[in-house]
This record gives sequence, structure tokens and C-alpha cells, in this order.
Amino acid sequence: MKIGNKLVYSIIVAALIMGAALYQARPVYAGSCCGGGSPANLLVPKYARAVFDISFDMELYDGFWDQDGKHIPDPPDSDLSQYRLNLGFAYRFNRRLQASIIIPYVWNSNKYSGLSSHTSGLGDSSLSLWYEPLEDASPWRIKTLKDMVPSVNIGPSLLIPTGISPYDDVENSFDVCGRGFYRIDGNLLIEKTLQPWNLSVLLSYGKYLERPVNREYGKYVEPYDKAPGDRISGTVSLSYAYYIGSGGDTLTGSLSYTYLHEKDAKINGTDMAFSGFKKKSLGGSIVYSGTDSDWSFRGSWSHTIKRDGWGENFPSTDIFTVGVRYAFR
Amino acid sequence: MLFARKWYLLVLLVLFTACGNNLSPSGDDKREPVDPGTIGPGVGQNAPDFSVSDIDGNTVTLSSALSSKKGIVLYFTMWCPVCDAHMSHMLDNTIPSFPDIGFYAVDYVSSSVSGARSSAASSGFIGTPFTILADLDHEMLQGYDATMGTTVVIGSDGVIRMNEDYKDGSKLKDVLSGLP
Repeated sequence: MKIGNKLVYSIIVAALIMGAALYQARPVYAGSCCGGGSPANLLVPKYARAVFDISFDMELYDGFWDQDGKHIPDPPDSDLSQYRLNLGFAYRFNRRLQASIIIPYVWNSNKYSGLSSHTSGLGDSSLSLWYEPLEDASPWRIKTLKDMVPSVNIGPSLLIPTGISPYDDVENSFDVCGRGFYRIDGNLLIEKTLQPWNLSVLLSYGKYLERPVNREYGKYVEPYDKAPGDRISGTVSLSYAYYIGSGGDTLTGSLSYTYLHEKDAKINGTDMAFSGFKKKSLGGSIVYSGTDSDWSFRGSWSHTIKRDGWGENFPSTDIFTVGVRYAFR
Repeated sequence: MLFARKWYLLVLLVLFTACGNNLSPSGDDKREPVDPGTIGPGVGQNAPDFSVSDIDGNTVTLSSALSSKKGIVLYFTMWCPVCDAHMSHMLDNTIPSFPDIGFYAVDYVSSSVSGARSSAASSGFIGTPFTILADLDHEMLQGYDATMGTTVVIGSDGVIRMNEDYKDGSKLKDVLSGLP
């Protein structure tokens, strides 16, 4: 392959990787009653040294599932939403190792017929480390066995409780912007590109660290130890890249399905029998990236089906996201 | 290297700009003693009086709620999933064991009695042992320094025995079992 072709090829591969794999909506635990924060994948494409990302989420609440999976509407005349501005930065240390940080700022807007509240604050931040033991050649056609090899990224992430939590000096539940616990996740991202298609699977297992609690919503209480339950999540995403004209601009559309399950929390080592939750959601995204792939723009929608059986003990929401990303070479 | 420096700066920024006490939480008991006989939301204080309507239009006061009961439980709800789980758990695991206790769900987010009734109906709590109170003016919310999930136990003598989040309900059971 000539150097020029190789460069174009690399750019296309990078654009696909950016467009298809990096913008998967990751399950978040962000609710007006339940804290916020928006961890999302942020990976540096192969050709770049670092990535800066800024995105804005608008999460609209529309009922919830009870602990039996029955969907319950919100109170009449209520309008509950959360907005998040996410700042992300990822840095590639070498060909296989990179790290990222995401810091969200959260606005809670809760209107009921008899009460309204507008609060804001820093959400929970996340740090991630990714190692790529296998690389995908992203071929147009499978000719050899090597072309079947997917890319594999593995690594831990740490959720840092930088947001205001129920255990801070807050007046009520509407002030909450974070959960108040550290969480360590093990993440596995497998993806295979057979251009223009891309299939990816993201699996995560998270464990919250137990912490002492001596205050609830501003009131000091008898101290106890608490840890939310372990968290399992998986996202399957299928993407298609459409090349616009002959200039190399790409428009990548993705569809995804996400499953999230958090087990029961523990207080002083004992299970809180009804505190876990489940959520299934569908997502769609469109990413536009220019010829040089340095800039990319995206819009996405994460949707939960407001019907019985699509979740348990959790709010049902729609999350609309717009974002822009710049890759530093 | 410029990028690396920026990276480290960002990490430091996160660590040092955190608002709240979650990065290094304390387990120290910081509850301050209250003066018995005073009126207030604290455990050991006399419960603040209230006068609100239930969803059937009946006026409920502290004294009417306590009459002929060993005590009452006030649970503050905004009809969210956490509230739903707490109330369902109470229905299944606590209320059947304490027939001499009055259980009240305090709706502090509705602007009318009919709105509170609609919320209770859509959440499936009409016809349950809960008496649903419509705290339209937030008299109870403020008087008891409450928020979502706050659970208050008041003895027949009008003294507050518990005022904290419901959590797993075990403390509520313990407190109710200890009522004279």
C-alpha cells in the first residue's frame, strides 16, 4: 500500500472507530431523586495523541418502574429533567495505552404541581484507563484469518464522588448531583469493523466502595456503613458509516441496546432487599466527521420503553445528547 | 510534554475542586443533643403540630392522628421509585405487625387534594393502610425538616422517636417495637 493510500485508510479507520465505537451511550445512574453523573466512553483514535470532548445531555423523566417491573406514571402536572454538561479529555500514552477523564456539571429541574426546584452542581467524575491488547485491521473484505480479529480494549475506571450527594450538607433530595460513593469498574470493549459496518460489545462490572455515613440530606444521623450493590452493564451497538461525496466526510449511524443491573445495596453489611434496580434502553446516534477526522459532531438519543418489564425500581427517561469532539494529533 | 501536563492538571482539578464531603467521608457521630420538652423535628423533641387534609377531605392534626394509637409514622413521598419501594416494603413487612400504629404518607409535591389523590391512585396506594396526607403548604415538610424518604415516628406522648431516611426499614421496626 502506498503511503498516501495508507494515510487515507488510517483516517477512515480512525473515523469509523471514533464514530461508531466511542459514542455508545453508557448506562448512567442519573435521576432527580437518585443522583447524577455521566460516565461515557472516551477513547483516543489511533492517529491522534489526545481528544477533547464536550457534550450536553438533556434527560427527561417520564415515570418509573416499580420493584415488580410495573411502569408507573409520574405525578400529574410534573415535569422532571436533568441537564448535564460533560467535559472530557483523553490522552494516549502509547499505541496501546490511554487514559481519560470526564467531569460533568449537572442541573436538576423538578417541577411538580405544588413544588418546583432548580439546583445545580458538579456531578460525579470518572477516570478511565484503557489497554488495547488486540487491534482490528478494519478491512473492507475478509481475506485472511487476521482480518477476523476484533479490537479489544480492557481497563478499569474509577467513579469519583465529586458531586453533591444525599450525605452532604444539602437541604433536600433535589440538591443531589452525585451518588456519594467511589466505584471501580472493570471494562471490556470488543469491536469488529468490516467496513462500512461496525459491531461492538461493551461489558462492565462495577463495585462500589463502602463508606461511612453520618448525615442524610443535611441531618446528622446515627453513623452506619453503606455500599450500593455491584453493577453489571452491557451494551451492544451496530453502526454503519456512510461516506459523503468523495471528500472523505463520514456520517455514521448507530443503534444500541443497553442492559443495566445494580444489585441491592448493603447497610452495615446487610442487604437492603429492595434497593437494586434494572434498566433496559435503546439508543441511536448520528456522528458527522470531516475528512481529516479532527472534528466530529454527534447527536444521540437513549430511550427507555415505558412499558412493564423494561426496568425495575428505576426512573424511565429519554436522554438527548449533542456533542463535539476534537482530536489532537 | 504539554499534553501530559494538562492531563495531570485536570486530574488534580477533579480531586481538589470536589464540592461535598464524599471524597473522604466521616463516620463520626455528630448528632447534637436536643432539649427535651422543646418543639422541633429532632429525636427527643415534641413533634410540631400540623393540620392538613387527607385525600378524602378530612382534616388531620397531630392530636387527631395520635388519638387511640400507640404512635404514628409519617413517611414523606414524592411518588418516586425510591418512595414506591419504601412504601411497598412498609406495606408488606411492617404495617401488618403494628396494628396500633397509624401510618401516614405525606405528599408534599401536589398542589391540591385531588392531585394527591390522583398520584396515590396511579401509584396504587389507594385502599391501603396508608392514610395519604396532602401537605399543600409544606407545613409538615418544613416542620419535620423532611425530604424524600424521611420517616418520622411519633409516640403517643407526642415525642419524636425517629426522624431519618427509611433505608431498609429495620430501624423503623426497632423503634416501633420499642414504643410503650
